[in-house]
Amino acid sequence: MKSILDQNFYELLEVQPDAPTDEIERAYQIAHSTYDTGSLALYSVFEEGDAVVLRERLDTAYRVLSDSASRREYDAAIAAECAEVDLEANGNNGGSVGPLEIELELPLEIEFEAEAEPQIIASSSVELGEFDDFEDDPEDTVYDGDRLRRARLRRELELEHIASITKITPTYLSFLEEDRFDDLPAPVYVRGFVTAYARCVGLDPALVARSYMERFESTAPPKRSRKKNLFARS
Amino acid sequence: MKTGSKKKGARTGTERAAPRLIALGGGKGGIGKTFLAANLSVALSRLGLEVVAVDADLEGSNLHTCLGVEPPPMSLADFVADREVDVGKLAAATSIPNLRLIAATHANLWSPQPSDEQRVALVGHLRKLPADIVLIDLGAGTHPAVMDYYLSADEGVVVFAPEPTSVENGYSFMRAAFYRGMHRWMSDEPLRDLIAQAMDQHNERGIRTPLDLLRAARALDPAGGRRLEKLVHRLRPRIILNEARSATDIKMGFAIKSVCLKYFGIEADYLGYVNHDDVVRKSVLARKPLVLSHPKSDAAIYVGRIARKLAAGSFRSKAVRPKARSNAPAPTHRKL
Ligand SMILES: Nc1ncnc2c1ncn2[C@@H]1O[C@H](COP(=O)(O)OP(=O)(O)OP(=O)(O)O)[C@@H](O)[C@H]1O
Ligand SMILES: [Mg+2]
Repeated sequence: MKSILDQNFYELLEVQPDAPTDEIERAYQIAHSTYDTGSLALYSVFEEGDAVVLRERLDTAYRVLSDSASRREYDAAIAAECAEVDLEANGNNGGSVGPLEIELELPLEIEFEAEAEPQIIASSSVELGEFDDFEDDPEDTVYDGDRLRRARLRRELELEHIASITKITPTYLSFLEEDRFDDLPAPVYVRGFVTAYARCVGLDPALVARSYMERFESTAPPKRSRKKNLFARS
Repeated sequence: MKTGSKKKGARTGTERAAPRLIALGGGKGGIGKTFLAANLSVALSRLGLEVVAVDADLEGSNLHTCLGVEPPPMSLADFVADREVDVGKLAAATSIPNLRLIAATHANLWSPQPSDEQRVALVGHLRKLPADIVLIDLGAGTHPAVMDYYLSADEGVVVFAPEPTSVENGYSFMRAAFYRGMHRWMSDEPLRDLIAQAMDQHNERGIRTPLDLLRAARALDPAGGRRLEKLVHRLRPRIILNEARSATDIKMGFAIKSVCLKYFGIEADYLGYVNHDDVVRKSVLARKPLVLSHPKSDAAIYVGRIARKLAAGSFRSKAVRPKARSNAPAPTHRKL
């Protein structure tokens, strides 16, 4: 276990050494708000001096890792130091733990199914008055496009985020939300879309899919044509 | 948390694996520990797991109320008073299939808490209960008894609410668990001494943080220090953020996880959050667990999610399989 002073920049930002730039960006933003002065999560733990040091380290880590040239240089430096540590460890069997030893983290074991939580953090802040109005869905709630949208907005998720998680294009996602049944593809796909969407916004996928598909299939348009131009309708 | 070793043993007729002991605490009072313990117990039992909910809060027992069951005739108080030595006999059936309750009602007002020996015996008994999960609702604070149960459990859940008082007490709780855990699990005398000194938060050695302690231990005895660093991994708090009202609140769970890593050097899991929901109060007033009274409320859905994450640990071990859905009691039963 290392003190914050021993951690390398990747560990400090809590990203993998091969994290792409946008992930580093995101990780830094998260860390920045976590360790910001006045952050509730910091209350009563770090003494101010320690928090200042930590913030400076985070800034440095970000500065180095967000620039590809300086990141390459840094990677090379770590690799060299790691090799040295290895040599030492092999040489004088079991010497002291080097500061750059990378500990293997145990994988999180409790992932049961893909959940939407981690995405919330990436969402931009949509200010919403209705956030506090948590709906108490009655037994026979109809999960229509509106209900889906509300669930999404309450979690401050952008369509693009849902798209990136579900790999469903934002266009189709917005058709789902607008109940544009004519523009949506065959039921089997729509069921998949709705299920994935529901999971993302924290609704019960089975329940939502059942309700949505009921409406979708009962209002089957005369010709739900596949040739239809996706962007034809307003 | 206790041993880190996975329990084995197939559940073939007479033999069954020991239950997972999950303790739920959080330092601060009134942040929903009991509400969560009750509703998670119900949700877990509805996933087909056999659950025993244990009210370990002898000075503020109300788990039975949150579960909506009458105070059972016998409780942990009878164990503390030596009237009943077999804790298994205290586990009373509830109206909810798969769920039994060990209550803590009618505690002795003069001396409610079990002795040290009784605490050890109690945990031993709980491990022998024929169940898949034993969920322990801890009282507020960091009383040695509370920390004892927390550290004896296989998994510890720490509940936070998004307010400074809860955050402060949540970290005090973790700090207490850290130092007590290290002291309990470390066998080397000189290092135990060091840990004991470090528990005095104004200690002369200037050890202010858990990482300071690890550094001091390393300096004192490199090999022992490394053993201590390994022991740290036994602590792996599962965080629940209750009463979330905004996305900022929800994000706080991730921030706490990060603080655990950077301050305590421990890996934490963010199990999930439950929103602030007025139906919670309604359900308590109606003396019916929320997941039964308002199964479709957001709060119930979030509790269900957390339950599924907790249950994953039991489903993974081959010894325990979720029962067929047809065994599920209520017609409204569904996978949340
Ligand atoms: N998510 C929630 N939304 C709304 N109200 C809640 C929520 N969680 C808990 N409450 C309310 O907070 C009250 C206190 O909760 P609870 O008794 O579970 O706290 P506790 O942490 O167990 O307290 P103690 O430390 O005293 O045992 C409950 O009566 C309940 O109505
Ligand atoms: Mg309580």
